[in-house]
Amino acid sequence: MRPWIDRARFGAGMNLQQQERRSARIFLVSMCVFLALILGFPTLANIWFSFNEVTFHNLTGDGFIGFRNYRIALSDPRLWDAVGYSIKFAVICTVFEVGFALLLVFALHPLLLRRPWLTAILMIPMMVSPALMGVMYRLILNEFVGIVPGYLEKLGFTLNFLSLKYIQFTVIAIEVLQWTPFAFLILLTARQSLPYDLEEAAAIDGATGTRFNVLVVLPLIAPAIIIVSFIRFIDSFRVFDHIFVLTGGGPGNSTTSLSIYIYKIFFKQNDLGPAVALSMTLLVATLALLYFGLKLAVRRDPA
Amino acid sequence: MTLYRKSVLTVSALAMSASAALADITILAWPGGAPEESLRALVEQYNETKGAEIGSKAELLYFSRDNFFDKMLSDVAAGSTEFDVMLTATYNVGKYAPFMEPIDDLITDDLRSVFPQSAIDSQSFEGRFYGIPTDLGVHFLYYRTDLIDQLLSDAAWQGRYAEISEEFLGTAMQPKAPGDWTWDDFMASALFFTKSINPDSPVRYGTVLQLKNLLFNVMIWQGIAASYGGDWLDADGNITVDSDAYRKALALYKRLVELEATPADSLSYEYAEANGAFGTGRVAFYTQWSAAYASLVDEEEYPAIAGKFDILHQPAGSEGIKTHFHALGLGINAASEKKDEARAFLSYLGSEEAMKMYIDGGGQPPVVGRIVEEVAGDRPDMVAMSSHAGDYGHVMAGGTSASALDIYTNQAENFTGYWAGQFDIDTAISNVEAFMAGEFDK
Repeated sequence: MRPWIDRARFGAGMNLQQQERRSARIFLVSMCVFLALILGFPTLANIWFSFNEVTFHNLTGDGFIGFRNYRIALSDPRLWDAVGYSIKFAVICTVFEVGFALLLVFALHPLLLRRPWLTAILMIPMMVSPALMGVMYRLILNEFVGIVPGYLEKLGFTLNFLSLKYIQFTVIAIEVLQWTPFAFLILLTARQSLPYDLEEAAAIDGATGTRFNVLVVLPLIAPAIIIVSFIRFIDSFRVFDHIFVLTGGGPGNSTTSLSIYIYKIFFKQNDLGPAVALSMTLLVATLALLYFGLKLAVRRDPA
Repeated sequence: MTLYRKSVLTVSALAMSASAALADITILAWPGGAPEESLRALVEQYNETKGAEIGSKAELLYFSRDNFFDKMLSDVAAGSTEFDVMLTATYNVGKYAPFMEPIDDLITDDLRSVFPQSAIDSQSFEGRFYGIPTDLGVHFLYYRTDLIDQLLSDAAWQGRYAEISEEFLGTAMQPKAPGDWTWDDFMASALFFTKSINPDSPVRYGTVLQLKNLLFNVMIWQGIAASYGGDWLDADGNITVDSDAYRKALALYKRLVELEATPADSLSYEYAEANGAFGTGRVAFYTQWSAAYASLVDEEEYPAIAGKFDILHQPAGSEGIKTHFHALGLGINAASEKKDEARAFLSYLGSEEAMKMYIDGGGQPPVVGRIVEEVAGDRPDMVAMSSHAGDYGHVMAGGTSASALDIYTNQAENFTGYWAGQFDIDTAISNVEAFMAGEFDK
């Protein structure tokens, strides 16, 4: 069978490191072109909209209005309520998701080495669309037709997960249940990449079990923990689907995340310009956060 | 070439040429329930009769109900030609009018013999007509006849009713028949049938409120405000939400929530959840859209209430009985490239024959009394709807403006916030008034 890259021709006159860099560039460039095509147009359109007076009746805008949309958007006090809610939601979800994922990695790593197919089962929640997750829980937790309140009632408990008292807990729990598998997958991969020799050497030095996990594994997979924490924080910060399906952002605006807020001012208030200006601000903030996260986690080889 | 192959090719060619002659139009309509079922049957009939005559064929397109109007707005704003006929509603005809084709030419005497003028007007904006009405939406009081009958005949229950009303409302009240209810009776009865207040109640809750942050839920609630004389604007166009009527109506729901006469998760309830709660037989009565009747009478779907419930007008306030009402309809997408075919379909839709068929399928069109009388035997809800819309129907001043949908949305956010205890009543009302002032340029 003919290899798809002719190494002799492709890497002529290059050392191994140069060949690897060239391969990496080819793969990266093709991915960047794909992303530019898929994401580039909406991003450019959004930049245009955010500096224009646009309405549903006039989507091309009446002309450049500078930063007015940004000023209007940032001066609304409801924005800061939504930002506050999103930050709280994201921090709590990230802590629980990464924490549970770490515990699962420590507990299940030996089992998953022997039976790797079990990982697929643990990934199932992640494969369900978040909106569908919201619809599912709307049914499962309903006081009259839901399975969970039904069984709890048989056991003598009356617990209404969608009541005002528990709604914050419920929306966070759904997010954690759905996305802990993602954090688990990343951390499991990092754990499985550690050489077995290390475990043997640590055992000889007397570090086994919890001691080994805390003193050896944890520092070594720290970059993966940082990266997965940043990714989960960003993703939870942008939460929309299951909250919108379950509560519509309410009651009042008590579960209105930044994404729901942007949706509302776009579709319900018809303030297209400020809504797009906010989404651009969110995009820049997200990219900055990811950049610093990567910088913190990935140390480049000086060579 | 064999004879068989020749025949197949000939038939295929004929079929292709026949289908090419048909200019297909696509109808974007309101999904689910009786409206979808009856419109499907009607479209099928159109394709076989009138459509076949003129060489036009109609097909249906449905989005999900969730944020239906936002999706439709995105499409029409982008000039989509994916659908030729689109949905209209009384409360947003002003918002969508710029993206629609007026159909003034279809408002003929024939059409007026099928629909009353009020129904035709419900699809108009600034003197132009944009839709043929298909479904009337009013609110009924759905109540359990078995429970109310016992309440009206059982002395022990009546004594307990008086005790509860005195304890929570400050007056020892006597139960009345639902047709004579005021909102105070509604409240007293809701408390009486709530198990946490009256452990002898055969149901868990007196009523079920749908309090999700959703504009349609405000429409159900605002019948109370209207019955106390509340309105969005006065005759001079001043915003009048900050009124005793609004405060009274808001406080009524708040009290029901606080006393847990409605399920604790009502704050996440919308249409389906409220029907589910009543349909499981654990709620004594509730106010709901008229469309729910067609589902609730299905004994297989809701066996717990089969033969045990009836419908009536909503309770009265100081200004009598009021119900929000609106009509859904179908109009023409301004970007459509097949406007003539779309007009032909709408013309058929507005005919007496089509509307009778629509009623047979479970639809609830706002037709004239003569047609309602003809179907009265099979469709008691049609009779009630027709009389309720005529006798008690109320549209808030400004409720058909281009901003109506956005105002309802803002009210939903602020009023559900008040009911949930997130805002006080003054904050909720002042937030709404400030938003309305912006929308109405006050």
